[in-house]
Amino acid sequence: MEQLLQHLVNGLVLGGTYALLGIGLTLIFGLMSVVNFAHGEFYTLGAYAAFAALAWAGLPFVAALLAAIAAGALLGALCERALLRPLRGHSIDTIMLVMIGVWIAMQNAELLAWGGVARSIPHPFPTAPLTLGPLNIAPLRLFVVLTAAALIGLAWLLIQKTRLGTAMRATFQDRDTAALMGVPIGRIHTITFAFGSALAAAAGALLGPVFLAYPSMGDLASLKAFSVVILGGLGNLAGATLGGLLLGVAEELGAGYVSSGYRDAVGFVAIILVLLFRPAGLFARAERIG
Amino acid sequence: MLRLEGLRAGYGPIEALRGLDLEVQQGELVCLLGANGAGKSSTLRTISGLLRPRAGRIVFDGAEIQGRDPSDVLRAGIAHCPEGRRVFPYLTVRENLAMGAYVRRDGAAIAADLERVYAHFPILADRRRQAAGTLSGGEQQMLAIGRALMARPRLILFDEPSLGLAPTVVETTFEIIADIRRDGTTVLMVEQNARLALRMADRGYVMESGRIVLSGAARNLLADDHVRAAYLGG
Repeated sequence: MEQLLQHLVNGLVLGGTYALLGIGLTLIFGLMSVVNFAHGEFYTLGAYAAFAALAWAGLPFVAALLAAIAAGALLGALCERALLRPLRGHSIDTIMLVMIGVWIAMQNAELLAWGGVARSIPHPFPTAPLTLGPLNIAPLRLFVVLTAAALIGLAWLLIQKTRLGTAMRATFQDRDTAALMGVPIGRIHTITFAFGSALAAAAGALLGPVFLAYPSMGDLASLKAFSVVILGGLGNLAGATLGGLLLGVAEELGAGYVSSGYRDAVGFVAIILVLLFRPAGLFARAERIG
Repeated sequence: MLRLEGLRAGYGPIEALRGLDLEVQQGELVCLLGANGAGKSSTLRTISGLLRPRAGRIVFDGAEIQGRDPSDVLRAGIAHCPEGRRVFPYLTVRENLAMGAYVRRDGAAIAADLERVYAHFPILADRRRQAAGTLSGGEQQMLAIGRALMARPRLILFDEPSLGLAPTVVETTFEIIADIRRDGTTVLMVEQNARLALRMADRGYVMESGRIVLSGAARNLLADDHVRAAYLGG
């Protein structure tokens, strides 16, 4: 029982960052119909931005996290303006190929900039775990899960409660009519891509110090993000959140009770099952943002 | 107030508008008739900026607005109530109305206009927290009209306001449009129900294959042999 609880807690730490990744991807996918193969690269970018801010600039951890978020948002906005905006109206396949190109280019740029050696990201948290009753949790992991929860809450507030968020949801539901209401669709796309990329970068900055930063770390992150979107349903923010947590917990249980070598396999088996039996996602109501 | 001159527009190789001329005077209610595919919706979409014209001019209050973004056209004072109502199904009634005022920044006046829409359509006030997709067709039409009014337009474009509505609801809808016009808003309306449309309109235009083939006072069109045969069922 205690072991189960411990696995659940570890699963939530992992799942919180998966949820961040998934929310970013599902927003971009749902609102812009862009299958963003480069999503994981923004996760990598976030990890390296945090590394640079911590190891080189000696910034405090929270500032490093903010720097990573800013880097993700900035490069995301740039990517949208330079590549995606000129392609608006082109087929989803064309855009998919371009995003595969962005994925390859970004990953090799990271390899060029940082070298192929994995780097451990320094963090100021004590390594001795906190003991809460029967549970042990490293302070860094506690920080990760709380920050992820806060970011998810902020994302939800932005989408549900602000004028910008209402315009984003309207654009997702009916782009032409949103344009008739005066919503600047191009700007909404830029903001959405920047926002989704910033969330991926935040996930990278949070999980990077838990594991290691290396140039191809984004590949697995992309796969997880796609898994979360499949679990949660397209454009479904709550679905992506729950899907992320579920995937994290499933992986942790698989690693704990089956074998840690099967950690990633457990998640993907879950995806295959979902695709077989509930292809619209576990939490499908209708396809929607929100 | 609004003048279209030699307007051409289309989708890829298809030419929907082939040199369209049309005029709407301040305070008028003008209807645009024509068969399916004649280019009526394309005309409205080109005016509101969803479709870019290939040639020709759109002059609104003396300024050329062809090719401008929909948000600019809306700010200039033209709202477009699209075919099929097109409310945002997962936004609440209130959020839908707020979207209508998206380009406005005058918070207090927006709140006052919201209350005015609620007063005019009490059913919308009752359902303000409900997702718009759960409303009936008639309620969605009221919401679509209320949403267009939230922009405080001086000219409203209505695209097939009676489409898919029950006969009693059609009547209510036309009464609402007549009210809007009486309150001083100019109306350009595309409508398949030619008889009803011509009865309330001042003037009408008949479109065929992307051009105006006939125009005149609504009562003259009602009596016109060609119009009677083609659009009024003989």
